[in-house]
Amino acid sequence: MRKGDAAGGRGPGSGSASDAGRGPGAASGAGEGSGPDAVAEVLSALADPTRRRILDALAAHGEATATVLAAELPVSRQAIVKHLGVLDRAGLVAGHREGREARYRVIPERLGVTARWMDRVAAAWDTRLSAIKRLAEGE
Amino acid sequence: MSTDSNRHEDGGAGAGDAHDRIEREISIAAPVERVWAVLTEPEHVGSWFGQGEPTPVDLRPGGIMELDHGEYGQFLTKIVKVDPPHHFSYRWAGAHPGEVAVEGNSTLVEFTLTEEGDGTRLRVVESGFTGLRIPEDRTKTAGYESHSAGWSGQVENIRRYAEQLAA
Repeated sequence: MRKGDAAGGRGPGSGSASDAGRGPGAASGAGEGSGPDAVAEVLSALADPTRRRILDALAAHGEATATVLAAELPVSRQAIVKHLGVLDRAGLVAGHREGREARYRVIPERLGVTARWMDRVAAAWDTRLSAIKRLAEGE
Repeated sequence: MSTDSNRHEDGGAGAGDAHDRIEREISIAAPVERVWAVLTEPEHVGSWFGQGEPTPVDLRPGGIMELDHGEYGQFLTKIVKVDPPHHFSYRWAGAHPGEVAVEGNSTLVEFTLTEEGDGTRLRVVESGFTGLRIPEDRTKTAGYESHSAGWSGQVENIRRYAEQLAA
């Protein structure tokens, strides 16, 4: 978990290596209670447009079964189930059984973690660019 | 599975999808040659992206630029493009200290320097986040079928999307 702490910024004054080891694996160690590769898993899960549509549909419904989702999206129920499995393992949805079929809902925490990670990557570049600017202008 | 959203309008650098990137820019009151020197010379690189000590830079395509992140390890970035004083790019494996950056474990960092009056517009693009591999053991538990093919996503879109959905 130590690497994840690096994202907080610890550079020696030069705006340098504050995000060393800030790959997806490292980033998720930032004390959010998620696995070491949570961000990578989330990015991978979200990379598929069908899965993004499933998340959208789930967010709109609050809760839905694979059957309901399959009726809405141009994808077979079987494929929906598979995608829900990926989303579930990435921690983006959770299902619970009610009657014959599991009902799924969106779990927002890891999406937030991922968004913050992306923001940190961008912020780290702002810091480095400022350092480059100082060096270039300070001749 | 094919996706309809993959566009490769900027395929020159092999960065993959046009949206799989973070872009940042800054205006610098110094000529491009000066900014180029800061970007590529060992003592400067060591200062803005290392521990302060000069860092080895083998300034040629395929050459290694070592970024010393102290206790976090040495990052062996691999230089991709050297086109002074306007284009400089390298791969870095931010999650894999000690490993040479190659496709699959790294993102691509591209600097573009543009004259702007007497100064320089410096743009950096980091791309390829969705192509990062997940370590073997995680791949298995996660059950991803198509990892070797790389991820087809769009990081910038994903970031916005994640923010919106998490809000």
